[in-house]
Amino acid sequence: MRQSSWARFTSSKLRGGAVSLSLALAWAAAGGAAHADPIRLELKPRLCTLGPDEEQCRTTVQASWHAAQPESLCLIIVGRPEVKRCWESYADGTYTIALAFAEDLTVQLKDPDLRQTLASEVLRVIREALRYRHKRRDPWNIFD
Amino acid sequence: MHKIRVFLPPLMSLCWAGPALALPAPADCNHAAEEDCVATGHWNFSLSLGAGVRTNPLANGRDIPLVVVPQFSFYGRRFFIDNLDLGFTVADGAAGSLSLVATPGYDRVFFYHSDLQNLFVNGVSAAAAAPVGSVLVDRNSPGAAPYPSRARKVTYLAGPEWTLEAHGISGQIDVLHEVTGQNEGNEVRAAAAMALWQGVGSLKLNIGLTWKSAAIVNYYYGEPGGYRGGAALSPFVKLAYSRPLAGKWRLTAFLHHEHLGKSVRDSPIVEGDTVETVFVGAVYQF
Repeated sequence: MRQSSWARFTSSKLRGGAVSLSLALAWAAAGGAAHADPIRLELKPRLCTLGPDEEQCRTTVQASWHAAQPESLCLIIVGRPEVKRCWESYADGTYTIALAFAEDLTVQLKDPDLRQTLASEVLRVIREALRYRHKRRDPWNIFD
Repeated sequence: MHKIRVFLPPLMSLCWAGPALALPAPADCNHAAEEDCVATGHWNFSLSLGAGVRTNPLANGRDIPLVVVPQFSFYGRRFFIDNLDLGFTVADGAAGSLSLVATPGYDRVFFYHSDLQNLFVNGVSAAAAAPVGSVLVDRNSPGAAPYPSRARKVTYLAGPEWTLEAHGISGQIDVLHEVTGQNEGNEVRAAAAMALWQGVGSLKLNIGLTWKSAAIVNYYYGEPGGYRGGAALSPFVKLAYSRPLAGKWRLTAFLHHEHLGKSVRDSPIVEGDTVETVFVGAVYQF
């Protein structure tokens, strides 16, 4: 049985409407999620590479954050209770500190009571992967 | 083309044998601090500062002073650079290794103080004193042997190198062919090293030999239309003392005695029967 032109048009419109509705819901969901977690935290550097003879990374770490609206929050480093910097009703902030560390460094933004984590970033420590092999044995060489 | 035909079969057979012989790095080579182990992917530099000399057996040949001796190396997983030598390790294990190496022809050091082997392997200070490319032995020099002062170009030899380690003795055998088209000769280098005493420092004995085909002997010591020598076998013995000093410094001293093969000694341009090398100094490892 053949569909009329009107029926085909209507069916096409309905399918198109369903797609548009799905996209709108997805956009709303994404927007809603973004609104729930609007604070962006960035670390510089993001990585520290340890050479073969290095035990620790010794570098200046800069943590910058930005929020969609003024926030009151505190920046902490997990495992380092001595590091704490708080802002009250600011939309962005930067904190710079010289550190020595051998393991990954986790920097977090928390509410002023330090109960809820608002943002979290990790500065990774990469140990240079070394391979070893035998040196050439060269007793013929006069300087070996 | 001829040299390619000569070298291709052994090279190909080694390449085919490579995967079968190839061994992973042994478990005992996990750290650079372990003796005879080195980290791959890094350059290694050292500088020897001291006083020494290598005698020159050529008639009117000036002895080669040893004052500053830089050394460098780089090891990849298989590829390596060891001063002026290049190599590719086909198989490596705690008991030994098999590599394909390319290494400069040795005898040129007596004809040219500017030869790089006098800089990176066997000494340096004369390199600055002699003009690049100057032939040290000149037939017009008073008392010089009457032979044509012809050029001896830089040559490279290539071939397989086996190294062995057993009961505290390190052994090495190189079977080499000249591949730069100058003389197409063959050379065998063999040596063994053993510790005579090991304490804070160490005293080591090396013995070995170099066999050179007539083509190589005549390239350096022959006289076209005149002297033509045969193959030469030159044994050597070396006694070396080494002791760690403060920091990255190490004390080193050695005495190396090489007895030249008969066909080299018989050459009219050769005056000495032996080559003596003595060095005392400190090595700094960067």
